[in-house]
Amino acid sequence: MSLKDLLSPFFVWQRAFEKPYTTIRPTLDRPGAPAYRGFHINIAETCVGCGSCHEICQNQAIDMVAVDEFVGRDGDSGLRPRFDYGRCCWCGLCVDICTAASLRMSNEYSWIADNPNEFHFTAGVDETPWQDNELGYRRAEGYHLYPPKRIEMELLPAEESVKSFDEVTLGYDIEQAKKEADRCVECGICVATCPAHMDVPDYIHSIRDGDYEKGLKLMYRTNPFPGTCGRICTRKCESVCPVGILGEPVAIRWLKRFIVDQVDKKDYKRILDEQIENSDFKVAIIGAGPGGLSAAYYLRQQGHAVTVFEEHESGGGMLRYGVPSYRLPDAELDKDIDHIISIGVDVKYNTRIGKDIQFETLLEDYDAVFMSTGLSVPSSMRIHGEDHARVLSGLQVLADVASGRDPGIGKKVAVIGGGNVAMDAARVSRRFGADVTILYRRRISEMPADEEEIHESQEEGCTLIQKAIPVEILDADSPEQVAIKWGEAEMVDDPKGGRPRPVLREDRMHTETYDCIISAIGQSSNLDYLSKELQEQMAVEWGKFTPVEYQHTTLDKVFVGGDFANRTADAISAIEDGHHAARGINRFLNPDLYINAEQQHDI
Amino acid sequence: MNTVDEILDYAIDQEQQAADFYEDVAQRAETAGMKKILLDFSEEEKRHKKILQTVKTGEHELTPEQEILDLKISDYLVEVEVSDNISYQDALIVAMKRERAAYELYSDMAAKIPESHLKEVLTGLAKEEAKHKLFFEAEYDEHVLTDN
Amino acid sequence: MTLSTDNILTGHSAALDFAQPEPLDLTSGKYVKLWQGPQHPGITGNMSLELILEGDTIVDCKTHVGYLHRGFEKLMERRTFIQNFTVVCRIAVPEPTFNEYLYSHAVETISGIEIPERAIWLRTMNLELMRLASFLMWIGGMSGAFGQYTVPNWTIAYRDFVLDLFEEMTGARIYHMYIVPGGVRAGLPDGFRKRARDIMDGAEKMLDQVERVMFNNVVFKARSKGLGIITADMIDPYGIVGPNARACGFKRDLRKDEPYLAYDQLDFDVITGSDSDAYDRAYLRLQETRQCINLIRQCLDHTPTDGPFQADMPNVLHWKVPAGETYVKAECTRGEYGYYMVTDGSEFVRRVHVRGPSYTHAIAVMERLAVGNNIADIAGLMVSLHNYPPEVER
Ligand SMILES: Cc1cc2nc3c(=O)[nH]c(=O)nc-3n(C[C@H](O)[C@H](O)[C@H](O)COP(=O)(O)OP(=O)(O)OC[C@H]3O[C@@H](n4cnc5c(N)ncnc54)[C@H](O)[C@@H]3O)c2cc1C
Ligand code: SF4
Ligand code: SF4
Repeated sequence: MSLKDLLSPFFVWQRAFEKPYTTIRPTLDRPGAPAYRGFHINIAETCVGCGSCHEICQNQAIDMVAVDEFVGRDGDSGLRPRFDYGRCCWCGLCVDICTAASLRMSNEYSWIADNPNEFHFTAGVDETPWQDNELGYRRAEGYHLYPPKRIEMELLPAEESVKSFDEVTLGYDIEQAKKEADRCVECGICVATCPAHMDVPDYIHSIRDGDYEKGLKLMYRTNPFPGTCGRICTRKCESVCPVGILGEPVAIRWLKRFIVDQVDKKDYKRILDEQIENSDFKVAIIGAGPGGLSAAYYLRQQGHAVTVFEEHESGGGMLRYGVPSYRLPDAELDKDIDHIISIGVDVKYNTRIGKDIQFETLLEDYDAVFMSTGLSVPSSMRIHGEDHARVLSGLQVLADVASGRDPGIGKKVAVIGGGNVAMDAARVSRRFGADVTILYRRRISEMPADEEEIHESQEEGCTLIQKAIPVEILDADSPEQVAIKWGEAEMVDDPKGGRPRPVLREDRMHTETYDCIISAIGQSSNLDYLSKELQEQMAVEWGKFTPVEYQHTTLDKVFVGGDFANRTADAISAIEDGHHAARGINRFLNPDLYINAEQQHDI
Repeated sequence: MNTVDEILDYAIDQEQQAADFYEDVAQRAETAGMKKILLDFSEEEKRHKKILQTVKTGEHELTPEQEILDLKISDYLVEVEVSDNISYQDALIVAMKRERAAYELYSDMAAKIPESHLKEVLTGLAKEEAKHKLFFEAEYDEHVLTDN
Repeated sequence: MTLSTDNILTGHSAALDFAQPEPLDLTSGKYVKLWQGPQHPGITGNMSLELILEGDTIVDCKTHVGYLHRGFEKLMERRTFIQNFTVVCRIAVPEPTFNEYLYSHAVETISGIEIPERAIWLRTMNLELMRLASFLMWIGGMSGAFGQYTVPNWTIAYRDFVLDLFEEMTGARIYHMYIVPGGVRAGLPDGFRKRARDIMDGAEKMLDQVERVMFNNVVFKARSKGLGIITADMIDPYGIVGPNARACGFKRDLRKDEPYLAYDQLDFDVITGSDSDAYDRAYLRLQETRQCINLIRQCLDHTPTDGPFQADMPNVLHWKVPAGETYVKAECTRGEYGYYMVTDGSEFVRRVHVRGPSYTHAIAVMERLAVGNNIADIAGLMVSLHNYPPEVER
């Protein structure tokens, strides 16, 4: 034993004169660290109710509950996470997965309440003292629990794509599709937004499982055009996909196409295996576009005898005669249509209602009639000189090309318009070797055409002039040509609000000569097969129907759908209208059945 | 028409005529929807008339200085015929063109006379008509020129 | 007993007797049976020792566990791969980070995920901070077990400063849940390095004071020297690792022997002792605590300020790890800590086996070392082995 060892314990006294390590009041006013995982904060306004937080919580501390304020919003489930602090372990996984970055944590960690039920609360909806707290845990920049970027779809290089009508998008291979399918958080918000309410999360799940037959079956429950929609759908679903809030939305459309690409056409019958029991009813359908054929498919499944009348020699409507084959190859459209026909749908081609058969005859001969004849009349610009022989309509050019006729556009073309029809007309013209200029009144960002279409048309060498207002069509030196006078527009804020309006600058006019001008500024319907009386009875307004419940018109037997009966005028809406009308017609034909079923349901 | 009152009476009468015109077309319109739109137009003209009446009584003042946005849409469109099955597009064209004509009438008249109260009233009326034109042109821009 | 280490490495030890002793006649009136724990502070809670005494001397010792029974390994079989990372930290409360690291590393190994450079450094720093916090707590415990209650106040206070650093870096003081499969959850907050350096400087000074007051203390020396000697021949047969083995001259440290994370880029030597009695083991840990401060400083210097801290990850909501099997290990404060993981290609782990050093140190080693000691020293002996019961009952 040394003296040193004996003395050194007394060294502790030295500390009596130093600053203590401990704080005097340890807990009361010590805030958590700036990134402390304290109580939850949800910005309920930003949250979309995707439920990913609920899904990831290992403690089942989160329930999704309906909050009235948000119910019925597009792209929102109307649910909000409700936390149970009897279960939470403050791991913050819910924050990390939050697709909207609406969920975070405050640095608050003490909460005293005499009612234990208070610890069960809907963050951001029920009031909490820390809701506006700026500090606390947030997911760090660059940290992800699912891949934020989508798997790029491979495209034909633009130099090649302009030379042919070969499909531009090349499709996913299995590995790419599985990776993309992996990004889905399975919230189901897309299901509500999809006009046809397709079962998106489940068919995407089937891709992860490699069970494409199951995927196909799921798709056919709501959409008999999956191959088509997998290519050209307007994909409203993707616009609400929560994965797209912080990253890029899941490529739902390409995944749909992938499933169809994986299944051989000859296996469809075996896989889908529709069991049909014939009924005694006969239904007539006018128009073999997506609306008409979708109705035909689901009506036939109910056992009804279905006859479709189509004025063209093939089905598909605008999908065949409008959408060019580099976007939707005929073989892919036929894969969908052939299956519909294969379950026993009778299509009478080259038969125009109003000419070959009268509408009234159908009303007499059939138990119900569904019409989906679309929009086939190009709109007029109402400017001087518009009736010049070298002013063509976009629809006509596209129809010519689809039917294998020479559209006769020449080598230098101006396309007027900013919608999909304009883009299609422009890109088709490029494929005929023409030099293409697109004139659009507003800014590119305001074009109604699909962003990808705009991008690809530019890739393929179309010149896009924005803020260009056509004012007059003029004769050119040669009758084979035509001139257009257009003026530059200046975007001016409307004092009444709304988006800025283009105002013509009369000091900046241009005149240019072209081989032809393709006008593609919209289209309307042709209802010449319906008498004025019938139109009035069905309350047709400017060629459009406003159907009531189940696509029913105000006329007893008549149901409508498709472009002339909806606002969106796209394929998927027409398909849903057809499906919905099929349900409606079925109820109309079997009222007892449904009344009974409904009554039973109520009990 | 030399006095301010005379001019205002004329303008009020013009508005009434326009209202009558739309009502008349509305009577003949084939569809209920179009009827309603035309009656709305007619109401709009009656509103204009009321404003001018208050100007005349001195309750309301015209504002000749204000800048009105001119979309210049109607200037380059063809004349359309008024028919029983007139479309929405054409009905708007008719309305725009009528407002434009009124606007031009008052501004031409104003241009021809020297600085005076009358000139101010005429300019004010022109601006008033320009506002009406903007109303229909904005409608056309929004609902007809969608894809274009 | 003198045995060369060469002999021991072969695993054969003629000198050790593993035969069961004759059962004691408890009715003879010679013995007293005493339960120490689970509520006894010297037993680190949650486990107990069944002691048989003859007078003050222990003649038999059995370790009892079963007070926790959380079944962590089983729980993990019903949770997804991402959810588990929030569970594993609870397996060793004072050292959650080693579990986070090993779990993540096992999953990454089977899935073939390589974590980025910045994450490697952040993980290393996190683990060393953990080692520091754990040692500080342990020193306090050791001191307290010998009746000195001043030192714990100092070390626990400093441990709290380290927990402050954890709070800043990870968002939590105890269950950090910072190291996740794929990397870590965040970079360093602003000003962290400066604050960490300040705390390291203070801790270093405090350790000097601890050395003076505790290790030069005549009472501590008298009671801990010669207590619970681990002999070289015990090391391999008992599977003794970490400071308990190093204090006996075994230069074994996974950070050096099989470097992982950034350890091959850090400058340090493996510290060894010679006697491995309670004092020697404690002193070795004090030195390792200082070394730890040095390593943390190196990490503060080297950790990159930017770049990714997470590898590209699949969507964790339906993450399926390919079928596989792995054993991963790391040097925690108490030696080799290992995770054995088997996956079957599903969204759940098929089996995880957690192998912490407490398993042998607290049961087989403790039972052997206890015999022949005075009842008053049992708590100190137990602490000198540095055990965490949840690790036994994982
Ligand atoms: C150029 C172009 C590009 C498009 N691109 C897309 C796109 O990318 N994505 C998208 O979702 N949608 C797109 N659309 C819109 C889409 O094609 C339509 O929304 C869809 O085809 C509408 O279906 P429908 O059944 O209402 O009518 P339609 O497809 O127009 O079908 C109507 C059918 O009825 C027939 N018919 C008409 N009158 C009679 C009669 N009296 N007797 C017998 N048969 C008659 C027609 O021949 C036609 O086959 C595009 C449209 C065009 C024109
Ligand atoms: S912090 Fe963790 S335990 Fe708490 S609600 Fe979120 S996910 Fe669940
Ligand atoms: S993950 Fe985020 S967006 Fe989704 S429900 Fe939870 S809080 Fe809302």
